[in-house]
Amino acid sequence: MALLEVRDLKMYYKTLRGHVKAVDSVSFDIERGEALGIAGESGCGKSSMANTVLRLLPSNGKIHGGSITLDGVEILKLDDETFRESIRWKKISMVFQGAMNALNPVHRIGDQIVEAILTHEDIPHAEAVERTEQLLDMVGINPKRFKEYPHEFSGGMKQRVVIAMALACNPDVIVADEPTTALDVMVQSQVLKAMEDLRKRLDLSMMLITHDLSVIAQTCDKIAIMYAGKIVEYGSVIDVYENPTHPYGMGLVKAFPNIKAERTRVRSLPGFPPNLLAPPEGCRFHPRCPLADRTCMEEEPRLIEIGSNSHKVACHKVDMLERGVDIWEQ
Amino acid sequence: MGFSRYVLRRLGYAVIVLFVIMTFNFAIFRLMPGDATKMIIDPMFTPEAIAELKRQFGLDDPPIVQYLKYVGNLLKFDLGLSFSTRRPVVNELKERLPNTAVLFLTSFIFTTIIGISVGVYTASKRGTFGDNFVTGAGLFTYAVPTFWIQLLLLMLFGYYIPILPIHGTMSAPPPDGFLLQALDRIHHLILPAGSNVIVAFGSWALYTRNTMLEALGQDYILTARAKGLPETTVLRHHALRSVLPPIITLIFGALPGMVSGAVITETIFSWHGVGKYLMDAVMQQDYPAAQGAFYLIALAVVICNLAADIVYGIVDPRIRVGEGGAK
Ligand SMILES: Nc1ncnc2c1ncn2[C@@H]1O[C@H](COP(=O)(O)OP(=O)(O)O)[C@@H](O)[C@H]1O
Ligand code: SF4
Ligand SMILES: [Mg+2]
Repeated sequence: MALLEVRDLKMYYKTLRGHVKAVDSVSFDIERGEALGIAGESGCGKSSMANTVLRLLPSNGKIHGGSITLDGVEILKLDDETFRESIRWKKISMVFQGAMNALNPVHRIGDQIVEAILTHEDIPHAEAVERTEQLLDMVGINPKRFKEYPHEFSGGMKQRVVIAMALACNPDVIVADEPTTALDVMVQSQVLKAMEDLRKRLDLSMMLITHDLSVIAQTCDKIAIMYAGKIVEYGSVIDVYENPTHPYGMGLVKAFPNIKAERTRVRSLPGFPPNLLAPPEGCRFHPRCPLADRTCMEEEPRLIEIGSNSHKVACHKVDMLERGVDIWEQ
Repeated sequence: MGFSRYVLRRLGYAVIVLFVIMTFNFAIFRLMPGDATKMIIDPMFTPEAIAELKRQFGLDDPPIVQYLKYVGNLLKFDLGLSFSTRRPVVNELKERLPNTAVLFLTSFIFTTIIGISVGVYTASKRGTFGDNFVTGAGLFTYAVPTFWIQLLLLMLFGYYIPILPIHGTMSAPPPDGFLLQALDRIHHLILPAGSNVIVAFGSWALYTRNTMLEALGQDYILTARAKGLPETTVLRHHALRSVLPPIITLIFGALPGMVSGAVITETIFSWHGVGKYLMDAVMQQDYPAAQGAFYLIALAVVICNLAADIVYGIVDPRIRVGEGGAK
C-alpha cells in the first residue's frame, strides 16, 4: 500500500453558474520517498488538487466524493479539528506558489517556524528555537538570521525559509505548488536543488506541481499529466517522457527534447483548455484532438494501464497510439 | 535609519507644527470680527481706567511685542486671565481637563475595542446575516451626523426612557461616599461616551473589516492555515496582527477628529470639560480663555499624531530596520 493514496477524488467549486469541476475523479499514489510531478496547463486544476489534499478550500469549494488515505488512514473522514491537529503540517506540509508572500511580513521568520512546531508538538520553546536554527542551517540560511523579518530576505532566501518551515514537523509528504515560479531562473535551480537534496536525505515523499516539464524530469520519479480536472496520463518519468501516449501528453512531451534538457514550458497546443463549468462531453480533450471521432465525443475514456510499470492513459485510441503514430507533426 | 532617529525626526516635526499653531492661534483671535476688548472695556470708563485695563491684559503693546510675550507666557504655561471670570485661564483648564480626559479616554478605548472586534468578527463571517447587519449598522451611524444621533439619544433617554442623566458630569448635590460618587460619575458618563462610541465605531469596524478581508486573501494566511494553526490564531495572530499598522495609524489619525468631536459632545451633554469651555469662551468673546483652550486642544492633537507615528514605527517592522537584529 502506498503512503498517500488518492482515489476518485472530486472537488467542485460552486458558482452562480454551476459547479466548476476543478478536480474530477482523480486517482494517484505516492510511495514513501517518492516524488510525483503534476503537470498541465494553467487552470487545469493542479492547485485545486493540492489544496484539496490539505483541505485548504475556499468556502465554495466542496469535496464531492473519493478518498484520500495516508498510511492507511482515511483522512477525508477526519473531522476538521482532528485533521488540523494531526494531519496539517505534521503529516503533510506545503510549499506554496507565492514565494514572495508566503511568510507573514510582521513576524520574525524564526518565530513563524517555531509557531509551526509548537502547534503540533508539546516541547519547550527553547527546544523549538534550537530545532528552527538547525532547519535554517540545513536549507543554507545562517541561523543568526532567526530574528529577521521576511522583507530582509531575497526571494530565493524566503523560499528556503518556507522549505525549512515545511520540514519543521518531520512530515511524511510535502506538497509543493509551483515552488519556484516566482523566482528568477538561477535562483530557481538552486532552490530546487536544495529541496531535492533534503528530500533524498530525509526520505520524504513529495507532490510537485509545476508547468515546467524539466523540473519534473530532474526531480520526480513519477508524473501525472492533468487536463481539465482529470489525469490523462500517469506513469514513471522514464515511461512517460520516452513513450508519451495520450495525445495531450504527447503534445507536451514531444516539445521537450530530452530528459536532461533545458527548461521547457508546457507547450501550448492549438485551441483552448475547456471551461470547467461545462466541460466537453466524452473525452474532455476531443475539441483539440486530431484523432477525435464519435466515440470520443460521447464516451469518457477510462484511465487504463498500458504496457507494464503502471503507465496509464485515458484515451480511446491507445491501441493505435501505442504503435507510435505521430499526431502532432510539423 | 534607526528607530531613535525616526522618533527624533517626528518629534522635530511636532515642535514645528506646535509653533505654527501657536502663531496661528495668536493671530486668529485678533482677526476675528468684533472687538474682543469690549468684553472688558466699557466705553464709559475713563481713559486712565481703559489704559490701566489694557496694560493689565497686555493689550497696549504693539502686536509683535504682544506676540513675543504671548509665546514666552505659553512656554511658561501662563495663558493669561479670563476676560469673563478674571481668573487665570490655566487654572480653569486644569479643573476641566480631568473631565475631558475621562470622557475622551473612555470613548476612545471603547470605540477601539468595539470597532476592531466588530471588524474582525464581520470579516471572519463575511456574507452572513451577522456581517450584513453589523456592517449596515456601522455604515448608518457613520453616515449620519454626530450631533443628530446625540440629540436623538438625548431625546430618547431624557424623555422616553429617563434612566440615564443627560446633563452634566455628576449629580448636584453629589451623593455621599466615594463609591456612590464614582458610580454617579459613571452614570453620567454613559450617554456622552456611549454616543461617541456609537458614532465612531462604524468607520473603524468598516476599515478593520476591509483590511482584514484583504489580509485574509494573502498567501501567508494560507500558509498559516496549512500549518494547522487554529482559526482564531490565524485571525488574530496573522490576519489582525498584519493589519494593525494601518489600523493603528487610522485610529491615531482619527484622534484629532475625536478631540474636536468632543467639543460638540461636551456642549450637547453639558459636560464640564475643555470643549465646552472653549465653546463658552468663543460665545463670550473671551479670547484668552478661548486661546488657552484652543491651544490645549491643538497640543492634544499634535501629541496624538506624534504618538501615532511612534506606535506605527513599533508595530511595523519595516520602519524599524537597522534598529536591531543580526545581519
Ligand atoms: N474559488 C474558486 N471558485 C470558482 N472557481 C475556481 C476557484 N478557484 C479556482 N477556480 C477554477 O478552477 C479551475 C482550476 O484552477 P486551479 O486549481 O487554480 O488550476 P491550476 O493550478 O492548474 O492553474 C480554474 O478553472 C479556476 O478558474
Ligand atoms: S479519447 Fe479520443 S479525443 Fe480523447 S484523446 Fe483519445 S483520441 Fe483524442
Ligand atoms: Mg496553480
